[in-house]
Amino acid sequence: MTEPGRSTWLQRLARNRSVVAGLALLLAVVLAAAFAGVVATHDPARLDPPKRLLPPSVEHYLGTDEFGRDVWSLVVHGSRVSLLVGLTTMLLTSLGGVVIGLAAGYGRRLDLVLMRVMDGLMAFPAILLAIALMAARGPGVGNVIFALSVVYTPRTAMLIRSTVLGIRDLDYVHAARALGRRDLAIAARHILPNCVGPLLVQGSFIFAYAILAEAILGFLGVGVPPYVPSWGNVIAGGKNVIREAFWVSLFPGLALTLSGLGLNLLGDGLRDTLDPRLRVP
Amino acid sequence: MVPRSVVALIAILLLASSVSDAQTPKRGGVLRIGNLGEPPSLDPHWGTQTITEVLANHVFEGLYALDEGYRPIPMLADGMPTVSKDGLTYGIKLRKGVKFHNGKEVTSDDVVASLLRWGKRSVYGKSLFAQVADFKATDTYAVEFKLKEKSAIVVISLAVPNNMGAIYPKEIAEKFPPDQRITEWVGTGPFKIAEWKPDQYIRMVRFEDYTRLPGKQSGYGGAKIAYVDELRWIPVPEAASRAAQLESGDLDVADDLVADGYDRLKANANVQPVIVKPYYWLVAVFNKKEGLMTNAKLRQAWQAALDVEPIMKTVAGGKPEFYRMDSSLAFQELPTWHTKIAGLPWNERNRDKARRLLKEAGYTGQPVRFMTTQEYKWMYDFALVSKQQLEEVGFKVDLQVMDWSTLGQRRVQPKEYDVFTTGMGNFFDPTHHIYLTPTWPGWTEDEQIATLMAQLARETELKKRQELWAQMTKLFYEKVPVARYGDLFGLRALRTTVKGFNDKTERPRFWGVWLDR
Amino acid sequence: MTAYLVRRVLAVIPVMLVVVTVVFLLIHLIPGDPVAVILGPDATPSQIEATRAQLGLDRPLYEQLGAFYVRVLRGDLGRSYFLNRPVTQALWERAEPTSLLTLSALLVAIAIGVPSGLIAGAFPGSAWDRVLMLAALFGVCIPGFWLSLNFIYFFAVRLGWLPAGGYASVFVDPGAALRYMVLPAVSLGFNQSALIARIARSCMLEVLQQDYIRTARAKGLSQGVVIVGHAFRNAMVPVVTVIGITTAVLIGGAVVTEIVFNIPGLGRLIISAILRRDYPVVQGVVLVTAAAYVLVNLVVDVLYVLIDPRIRYD
Repeated sequence: MTEPGRSTWLQRLARNRSVVAGLALLLAVVLAAAFAGVVATHDPARLDPPKRLLPPSVEHYLGTDEFGRDVWSLVVHGSRVSLLVGLTTMLLTSLGGVVIGLAAGYGRRLDLVLMRVMDGLMAFPAILLAIALMAARGPGVGNVIFALSVVYTPRTAMLIRSTVLGIRDLDYVHAARALGRRDLAIAARHILPNCVGPLLVQGSFIFAYAILAEAILGFLGVGVPPYVPSWGNVIAGGKNVIREAFWVSLFPGLALTLSGLGLNLLGDGLRDTLDPRLRVP
Repeated sequence: MVPRSVVALIAILLLASSVSDAQTPKRGGVLRIGNLGEPPSLDPHWGTQTITEVLANHVFEGLYALDEGYRPIPMLADGMPTVSKDGLTYGIKLRKGVKFHNGKEVTSDDVVASLLRWGKRSVYGKSLFAQVADFKATDTYAVEFKLKEKSAIVVISLAVPNNMGAIYPKEIAEKFPPDQRITEWVGTGPFKIAEWKPDQYIRMVRFEDYTRLPGKQSGYGGAKIAYVDELRWIPVPEAASRAAQLESGDLDVADDLVADGYDRLKANANVQPVIVKPYYWLVAVFNKKEGLMTNAKLRQAWQAALDVEPIMKTVAGGKPEFYRMDSSLAFQELPTWHTKIAGLPWNERNRDKARRLLKEAGYTGQPVRFMTTQEYKWMYDFALVSKQQLEEVGFKVDLQVMDWSTLGQRRVQPKEYDVFTTGMGNFFDPTHHIYLTPTWPGWTEDEQIATLMAQLARETELKKRQELWAQMTKLFYEKVPVARYGDLFGLRALRTTVKGFNDKTERPRFWGVWLDR
Repeated sequence: MTAYLVRRVLAVIPVMLVVVTVVFLLIHLIPGDPVAVILGPDATPSQIEATRAQLGLDRPLYEQLGAFYVRVLRGDLGRSYFLNRPVTQALWERAEPTSLLTLSALLVAIAIGVPSGLIAGAFPGSAWDRVLMLAALFGVCIPGFWLSLNFIYFFAVRLGWLPAGGYASVFVDPGAALRYMVLPAVSLGFNQSALIARIARSCMLEVLQQDYIRTARAKGLSQGVVIVGHAFRNAMVPVVTVIGITTAVLIGGAVVTEIVFNIPGLGRLIISAILRRDYPVVQGVVLVTAAAYVLVNLVVDVLYVLIDPRIRYD
């Protein structure tokens, strides 16, 4: 029974131009990250002072930065940090969101408390809360992921909760309960599968936000350490020399924009395909 | 027809009048100065920060100041001190009729109260008062130091602009204990504080009753004339923004710019760039109390491995105007203490020697914790390039980038680090070289260095002191308490409408400056 | 409706309780001794003890939290050691630039977003629609801080039309204030204008499906009259909600924009406070912006009821 359903689901996705374009962009970034050693023309950590601030050329496709590092190689390697932070944050927020959302959607008493906490957390402008958390914890990839997960989990939790609330009172769930199934089993069998669609949609947007937020934190000097090649760090370095060498900040920003575009296209397409009613601004 | 001579005369007169017009200082206007941040205080007794020094020196004065060769000259004192035969008593007369911003006349009571407070807080004050047995007023316009032992540093300590012995009214000096910042800024300087809006601006206005010294302005002292009505210090933390705002005319002066912008500023007809000499010599300070770098061989290996020129080039934005290769511990601009000693193991670029030393030290790749900050861009820059050079000879460097205040906090804890970056500014006396003392972070506790330091502090004859200082320099390169890189120069720039700026000093002063617009 | 409004206002209380709790916990996330960190390397043991007692860090956590609530209620956010003044005063001094920036950016976002969204929605599938929506898609994805840098490079450095950064108070020099505000407001508002455009478009599409629009069309009213006279007003209702969300995002974005354009507002305050380890100020900025968000949302919800009397809350 599930087989034909699944194939139409995939077919619909494959027909959605938005999804295809988004996946293609994302794939490009993933490939760059996976094969960074091959794609990059230079060692991104290698300083070459005599070659500082060279404009784009055949030798250096995107020019060099203030330490003579190759910007193309920096951008290629920077995709690793972006993907690592984006992907881990997405997974952690999904996990946290599902646990909190299920708990809230299931226990009426818990719901009240949990949702007030989520409301409260969402009252902070996201980037500001992330900055404050970074200020307390100090720089580092782990702390960036922690901060962004704290910031974005409530949004996923709210979404899962509303999905659960929508399903909880449906007949087949009542039937399962009448048959004596335990709550956890019901959640696993009947409710979770219904959350997959919204999670995928939300996940792709959170992925995009996380990549952007990581770059902003790096740009502000509170993200990953500055010598780690990440897009935010390269843009921050380029900011100081923007009048002499616009290319240093231009290209990592483009990479950032294109990854964001890929994830947004993917998210839009997934939403249209999986659940047209979902609106996640 | 008008005779030629008359035409010529008129021409000369016209020319002369226009020339004198351009060179006669005008009063008035607001001078907008972009600087890099917010001073933690305007109490020069309290803090050593450069920004505090620069701002406070427009408001406060000490008994002595430094001339253009960084030698002490009288400021609030009336002449140099009279020293007793045994060298243990210093009598200092005060200028009469000098007024504080609140209208009160400066007397010896104010001087005693202020310098006692300074002696408990300032690095220079503390080292001076360690040698002082008694300090008191001998009449309304005279004070007297009685020393425990002969000292070379009495006058220079009273003249340094940083952490200076500023004279406050007695009431204020006594109201704020030394560990508390003063918040009532009453001095004797040519400007007084009008308003302080944190992160927006600090306004200083001309002090109309300023009692000016006769003669000319010289270095940080001499005759100070406030031509502009107001100095407005505007914090602009980003160097790139400071430059941009200067070029667009939103600032009249921008300090601490990055050398990358030099060519552009030079090409701009409305802007005059000033290369600031001296600025800092770059230095990696070793922790000699605990950890890896207590081993002198490792420190020597670090020194031997460095190729200073490419490092300096990177830091200086690739511009040779902005760095200088020099091994002397005092800058060339300080001729009294600048040394020219050949054959010192500085900038050796000797990788084999470095590898050999690493081996002798029994080093097997333990990570060296190297702390730096991006708040001072040049520190991060030279740390990053050093790391690469050091790793090529076999060091393993764990570069830790943090904010400056965290670095400041960690560098006093021997367990936290092995090396940190900083810069050494202009030290006006050999005894002021903090990195040679056991109290400053890094803790140079070497006995030979300490002995030489003690001799330098007691010896009062210049020739002998210079000899001791040359010995100290040689010893420095043997013991390597810190690794000296090259001299870095700074960049500041002014609008061409700003006239009369003294571009020879390390830190800017805005008396004598006027606006032509 | 009054009952709803009362409930809506009361709902602010639990949210603010959580906000204050989170802000309180921030300081406990600092590794090591927060007091030593707050006071810096120059602190004497007696100062550390005094501050510890003042912050109540020697008492159990729940007691500290209670005391913190009381302090916040009294409007006491602590004292900035670095700035040597109460945090509330420091915040107040920085409020003007941030509010001005947020408001200008909001204006930009609405001025670009609403018309483009409505036009695109009114003529779905048209060339206008495609171009506008493509632009909006890019608009959502372009990082605001990077856009700011490019604006500076292009409009300030290359063309020299506008200042590269700085601030003038609108109460002191309105002309200069405008000049300084253009680039920051546009680069901050642009992302949100794209978002607003997308929402406005889908609202417009939805409204145009409604029965009364079809009726209007059936009556033979021209497309223009239908859109302007009927659809426009109704499509605006949900857009108002989005503007509420937008304001919150803008407050967050303002932090970054202030850094790039050197505007002395709350954003620069929090970043320099982080560098100075001035945690009371960090807490203060976070608390105040969250409170502003809660307030804006309250106002938007109330406005929503007022604009759209069809909505009933019982």
